[in-house]
Amino acid sequence: MGVLRAERSAATGIAAKTSGVAWRDYDVQLTVYAVLLAAIGLAMAYSHTTAQLGEALVAGTTFTRGLVWAGVALVVFVLATAFDYRWLRTLTWPIYVVNLALLAATLALGDSDAASARWITVLGFQFQFSELAKILMILVLARYLADRERKLDSLTSILGACLIVAPPWILVMLQPDLGTSLVFFAILGGMLFMAGASLRWLGALTVAALAALPLVWTYVLHDYQRERLTSFLDPSKDPLGAGFQLLTAQKAVSSGGLLGAGLTNGAQNQSDLLPVQTTDFVFAILAEELGFVGCVVVFLLFAALIWRVLAIGWRARDPFGLMVGAGIASMILFQLTVNVGMVLGIMPVTGIPLPFITHGGSSLISMAIGLGILQSISMRQRRAEW
Amino acid sequence: MSVLEQPLTHRRRPARFVVFGIAVVVVLSGLTLRLSSLQLAGGREQGIAPVAPVGEARLTALEPVVSTRGLIYDRAGRPLVENVPTFTVRVRPADLPLSRRPDVVERLAGLLDTTPAAINATLDAGTTSRFDAIAIARDVPETTARLIAEDGLTLPGVEVTVEPRRDYLSGTLLTQIVGYTGALSAEGYAELQDSGYLPDDRIGKAGVELVYEKELRGVYGTRRVEKDGTGRTIRVVGTETPPTAGSSLVLTIDTREQKRAEKALLWGLKKAGLTRGAMVVLNPQTGEVLAMVSFPTYDANLFSRGITDAEFDKLLDDPDKPLINHAIGDIQPPGSTYKLVTATGALADKIITTSSTLLSKPYVQLGVTKFWEWNRKGWGPLDIYEGFGHSSDTYFYQLSNRIGMDRLAYWARQLGYGSPTGIDLPNEARGLVPTEQWKMDTFGQQVFGGEVLQAGIGQGYDLATVLQVANSYAVIANGGTLYRPQVVREIRAADGSVARAFEPKVIRKVKAPTSVLTTMRKAARRVVTIRHTYNLVDLPIVVAGKTGTAEFGLRDEDGVLPYSHWFAGFVPKNAWVKDNPTGDVSKPDSELAFAVFTYDSRTLGNVATEVAKYYLQLHFGIKEDYRLPELLKRTNFYQGRT
Repeated sequence: MGVLRAERSAATGIAAKTSGVAWRDYDVQLTVYAVLLAAIGLAMAYSHTTAQLGEALVAGTTFTRGLVWAGVALVVFVLATAFDYRWLRTLTWPIYVVNLALLAATLALGDSDAASARWITVLGFQFQFSELAKILMILVLARYLADRERKLDSLTSILGACLIVAPPWILVMLQPDLGTSLVFFAILGGMLFMAGASLRWLGALTVAALAALPLVWTYVLHDYQRERLTSFLDPSKDPLGAGFQLLTAQKAVSSGGLLGAGLTNGAQNQSDLLPVQTTDFVFAILAEELGFVGCVVVFLLFAALIWRVLAIGWRARDPFGLMVGAGIASMILFQLTVNVGMVLGIMPVTGIPLPFITHGGSSLISMAIGLGILQSISMRQRRAEW
Repeated sequence: MSVLEQPLTHRRRPARFVVFGIAVVVVLSGLTLRLSSLQLAGGREQGIAPVAPVGEARLTALEPVVSTRGLIYDRAGRPLVENVPTFTVRVRPADLPLSRRPDVVERLAGLLDTTPAAINATLDAGTTSRFDAIAIARDVPETTARLIAEDGLTLPGVEVTVEPRRDYLSGTLLTQIVGYTGALSAEGYAELQDSGYLPDDRIGKAGVELVYEKELRGVYGTRRVEKDGTGRTIRVVGTETPPTAGSSLVLTIDTREQKRAEKALLWGLKKAGLTRGAMVVLNPQTGEVLAMVSFPTYDANLFSRGITDAEFDKLLDDPDKPLINHAIGDIQPPGSTYKLVTATGALADKIITTSSTLLSKPYVQLGVTKFWEWNRKGWGPLDIYEGFGHSSDTYFYQLSNRIGMDRLAYWARQLGYGSPTGIDLPNEARGLVPTEQWKMDTFGQQVFGGEVLQAGIGQGYDLATVLQVANSYAVIANGGTLYRPQVVREIRAADGSVARAFEPKVIRKVKAPTSVLTTMRKAARRVVTIRHTYNLVDLPIVVAGKTGTAEFGLRDEDGVLPYSHWFAGFVPKNAWVKDNPTGDVSKPDSELAFAVFTYDSRTLGNVATEVAKYYLQLHFGIKEDYRLPELLKRTNFYQGRT
């Protein structure tokens, strides 16, 4: 059919006028689930801060910063919702360039932690642009795949997608941020799959990628990354090093039992023994404090969220909407799997945040942008009546 | 406003949505499953212990409470050991994050005056679980220990514990009897784990510390503690079972007597330039050991403070074996002291009577071999008193010839030779009493005639410990009861009450008529009065005994065998009462029997006898000195055999 194509602004302007915003199509559930998950994330920040300081509402603590970020994310969410997503069609290339620029800036100017440059600090707040890069990448890729909707059986489409992803991926790997680069793969794969790319070619490329793994393992990965990846297999082999986080995390999870120790009662929190506990390993604290029941509730919320995202993708009248949905759903699923799997000891340790729960403004704002655009898509599927 | 849905502009692929949905379900189920195995099953399959948050008694553990080790006193109540509290610095690897380890180890090295490499070596060598606290420094000075304890926050995983160290107050004086405690070996721990021993425990390794380990250790108690998420004990909930403090031992040893005996023995050995010897002093009425000296010896504190490899090697390499208790662990030919056996046997079997005589000769011939009298002349006809008094070899050759090997062995065993006395000290030797059967079993030959002769004078295959010799004279002295020697008189419970009172233990009543034993006492007295043992002649004490010059080993270039000296004897009651001794050996009332042995003492006069004399001087507090040090000059010739 191909009515909607990448065109000049005028065309999109007419199209914008001819389809209105249907507020009844606003997906309330999506917002509800997202807000609930964000609230749990804030609760975790609260627990951490209270354990450290005894009270939560002190400037500069994890909790207060979390509140600030939540506020900002909310605003961004609303703005993104209001924004007509079809403008993105025009903005695709600028977005791509900005993405690369931000990633390059991170490499050049970024503050580092443990020999990696991952974020830039502005006005006391840290911006991790690789988080934003994920969303921007989804948008660019969605545009590309939507345009090639009929040619997805060919290998060239797939390769083209890979080529688009390659430059930002390289910039991310140079940081080096192994986790985010893996998410890039997940997004690429998920979007290609859902776009309807030829399974044959997808399969062939997957095999080729697997074959390239040993080379990547030896030549691309740093020592400590290799160590982190393998330590999950037997953390007690290096209980004082790479395995330390894992064993402590698992101890915390185990102690949660059915109902958990209660918010702020986690021993790991109190002893500050679990490194990076406000970020990557926060699920361990969640498991310890809210127990099995709490964890299952979180899982269900994520499942519901992904369901809503896919539903919007399904309902989308144009392929762009579907692609955005597919991309965001893939990203959330992948991060959830790897992060929780890592805490539970069945996945290697990678620096991948758990959406909404892990404290971090960049991640939350990126999610807000993504979900806002989804809402925007959701609401603009109806034609204005003349 | 808008009612119509826009037309679809692309092909939706429901199948792929379904697949995606399935993927979500699969992933979440997997995670939930893993989660449940960790949280609901307790995670024990993975070897992860559930952790208690702070403030909640989710995980309480039973911890052992160490009991205080019993003390050891001499018979007068003088303490011989002390439990001194010392500070030990331990590191628990589980609580020390790897990233902090180099920093912590460096600080510890600085505080403890050692190297980081040494500390790391100790930590890495620990083979037990990383949740155990490994001791990296013991007996740390108090200020250092307190510094480290205070700095707990910046030194994660480091603990300071108070542990008692055993201090041996008497130094080398009583080492062979008291013994020492040392670290439990891996094999020892494997064996004793079930009895409540901890891998880090100290256990008695020698002396009464070893033999009475169970009584001294007491029983460990248990207490319930709460542990937090990091495995640290945050609170002691309560004592479940209080520990039972170890019982204390009261020895039969009198420290003053021990000092006298040691002084006498060391004087004699030093004067004669000797390096090995032993002495035992007993109470013949009860079997209590009043003194036991073994030379050379060692300081038990070396072991309790932690002996270095160099020091230990030195002890091992010393040819005179300081680690052996020479009074009970060394077997030597008893020499002429053994004539007691031959004489007793001959009298008891009625081979001779107190009035019968035998002719002593320059030698006795058996086949082609001449067995010489020690003075190569003889004294003509001798009765038992004179025969024993002169220590006539030819007299005793004839006696042993008539008694025969096996009967001689019988009487030897009666008097306690050939089996361990059963004293409550470790590593007692059994000695050797040859019999026909033994000779056949060991050499596949019958006993030769000459061997019987040798056996009768305490040479040949005869081997005995100093304790056995002393005990055999104690039997004579008390009129026929062979007691088991004991070094522990009483066991006292921690509250001071007597848990085990002293009881003399009888091994046997010698099957010889009391008259025989009286005769032997008199014979032993005759040894002194006949002026044969000229060492003792001028001593104003009523002392009875027998000297011995025991040959051993290999002949030198002159064809002469080296020899050691013995003196075994006893004093009756009132042996010396301020120059007015009324002691009478015919009475079996002696309270002091002794035996002295000096190894390889090729001197003019009998060193052992001089030592015994000096000891008696000290024991009775005699002011005049009757010692004859010129007798202790070394000589190369076989001279002065007694």
